[in-house]
Amino acid sequence: MILKTSLIDRRDFLKAAGIGLASAMTPTAWAATLAADAIFATAFVKRDGSFGAAVLSEAGKVLHAIDLPDRGHDVTFDPISKRSVVFARQPGTFAVVFDHTGRAAPLTIASISGRHFFGHGVFSPDGALLYATENDFDNAAGVVGIYDARAKFSRVGEFPTYGMGPHELLLLGDGRTIAVANGGIETHPDYGRAELNIATMKPSYVLIDRVTGDLIEKHELPSALHQLSIRHMDTDRSGTVWFGCQYRGPGTDSPLLVGRAARGKELQLLDMPSEILSALRNYIGSVSANPAAGTVAVSSPEGNSLVVFDAASGRAVSNRALVEVCGLAPDRTGFMATTGAGEIVERSGMTRSEPDYVWDNHMLRIEPAA
Amino acid sequence: MLKRFVLLLVFPLALLGVFPASAAVKASEIIQRSIDGFVRPAYASLHDHARNLTGSMRKLCASPSQAELDVARKAFDATVYAWSSAEIITFGPIKENNRLERMLFWPDRKSIGLRQVQAAMADKDPTATDPQRLAGKSVGMQGLGALEFVLYGDGADTLAGRDDPYRCAYGAAIAGNIETMADEVSDAWNKPDGFAALWANPGPQNALYRDGNEAVTELVGVFINELEMVRDVRLKAFFGGRPDADRPKQAIYWRSRNTTRSLAGNLSGMDDLFQASKLGDALPSDARWMAESIHIQLVNGVTTAKSVQGPIDKTLSDPRLRDTLDHFALITSSLSTLIGTRLTAEFGLTAGFSSLDGD
Repeated sequence: MILKTSLIDRRDFLKAAGIGLASAMTPTAWAATLAADAIFATAFVKRDGSFGAAVLSEAGKVLHAIDLPDRGHDVTFDPISKRSVVFARQPGTFAVVFDHTGRAAPLTIASISGRHFFGHGVFSPDGALLYATENDFDNAAGVVGIYDARAKFSRVGEFPTYGMGPHELLLLGDGRTIAVANGGIETHPDYGRAELNIATMKPSYVLIDRVTGDLIEKHELPSALHQLSIRHMDTDRSGTVWFGCQYRGPGTDSPLLVGRAARGKELQLLDMPSEILSALRNYIGSVSANPAAGTVAVSSPEGNSLVVFDAASGRAVSNRALVEVCGLAPDRTGFMATTGAGEIVERSGMTRSEPDYVWDNHMLRIEPAA
Repeated sequence: MLKRFVLLLVFPLALLGVFPASAAVKASEIIQRSIDGFVRPAYASLHDHARNLTGSMRKLCASPSQAELDVARKAFDATVYAWSSAEIITFGPIKENNRLERMLFWPDRKSIGLRQVQAAMADKDPTATDPQRLAGKSVGMQGLGALEFVLYGDGADTLAGRDDPYRCAYGAAIAGNIETMADEVSDAWNKPDGFAALWANPGPQNALYRDGNEAVTELVGVFINELEMVRDVRLKAFFGGRPDADRPKQAIYWRSRNTTRSLAGNLSGMDDLFQASKLGDALPSDARWMAESIHIQLVNGVTTAKSVQGPIDKTLSDPRLRDTLDHFALITSSLSTLIGTRLTAEFGLTAGFSSLDGD
């Protein structure tokens, strides 16, 4: 067995993993949820150079903020304990658990020796375990670290991601399968954020059984696209995973950057009009699905571009120029977006600026029930 | 390698022209000056040095002697310096066909390239002595790092005699391959309808640079990105800040003692590019001091790096030279602030926070 859970009995693990608790929401349920007032969590940098994470109201007001020792990246949320976790941006070595209602003091999780975080993580459906993408940097291997949320987030094991440079991970609708985007890029903290294997990089998309750590599926792009790093993902209402890529080859190439992954099928890259594709400048920073609206949005802070797709047809239905847009989250029939210029753009297009804040790459919608 | 930083002009080069249209014209002039005054000469110089290096290697192979070996090593050192200046440009033709990695595969963290080079020499792989066939092999076998091992690594002194003709032939092939790449890149930049035309002619129909802001962003990104590369990747790779954190054998070009010369070359390239572009002329008069300060600090950085000479392990055991390396790091930090924050603010640029790189 690949899973290294020496600290936890398998039976307890299964129980803790909360198998069977996953909810498969119907589109109607999604619509009802997305129509209510929600809050949004995101990492930020303040203009004075300090770092933190914030929870915003739907109108973009900062409701709660915590300090971080360095730059954060993505936030994940557990609706059971109502705690959020913000992960350090790679090659950071911390994650901070916080309660936006302020009931509990923040708790810092330190990565173990020989590992650093990649900035993304996800809870098990019952909130018992936290999974985070990590770098086993001396072996240039991706792993998912497992943390026991009920034991002060002690690290209880890890399993491989069957690839290098894992970035975002998703828990799929069955509550048991974890999808990982292996970006394929080797980095090592001795060399900062330098990318060490651009000539030979090999990204992949994998499905892993989070209970056994076994590989269920592994998909690679055609070899001509080996420099197309798969990095961010979200699930549409049919359960299909949408992924966004970043291209490390010549800027004069224009590979397709957005794709879909359905279980048991090959990866499908989606064609789009060339002017929309070129506006993405070979870089997708975030992918977000709106199950109620049946749409998926991708953002490119390099191309200052936000593109929305119809999830069913796979066609781009709108694109918008927005300076340094990156953070995206579904909101009612549209998306809320944040930018590196400090703006919060509501679904209506109404923009407000928090002059003190510069928003980081990702935004998480937290449902109102939470 | 580090992905470039991205800067965005919030107000389209407001200081260069009142109208976006005229700003685009001005931006294209800045880019044209950068190409004519830096990029093309830098690659031409690299090509010249690489050609000289190939000639020196062939001569060494034909009539091996200590004197010819010394000449070849000098030609190698000069090529490293020329490359260190040119390598600050990480986009355009150098990015095609993995040329960037084939010119210099570094860091070779797991010694993969080193082992391949050693294996080729142990097996006397006949295909590695043909520059064209070498070009299709692993990136670790064909660039400056591979040639450095041939010329300076274990057993390199045999090149002065006739005992190891394979080693010399392989080295000549590496040099020939470097020369070919330098020639190809130089040619590509000189083509009237090539990448240079794309960069210098931003506009709505240009798939890569849709306006002047994007073209200038690419230019300013060179300084920001390369300063970080020099400080956080090249210098920190071997200089740990305290002696027990040092890693002298992770220093770039440690075998040929070109480590600090290459750092100097990087900053020298930046100074040449900054001067050629005349970005400073676009500053308002009360901010002109920045251009002067950038120039002075880049020159200071070059001098500081060059003042550290000799084997890198000896450098690291000398407190005075450690201070010099600290000072060098400080200069690059100061330049990062000056260019990444102050200069960009003057141009109405904001550092591309969300898109810094690779996340």
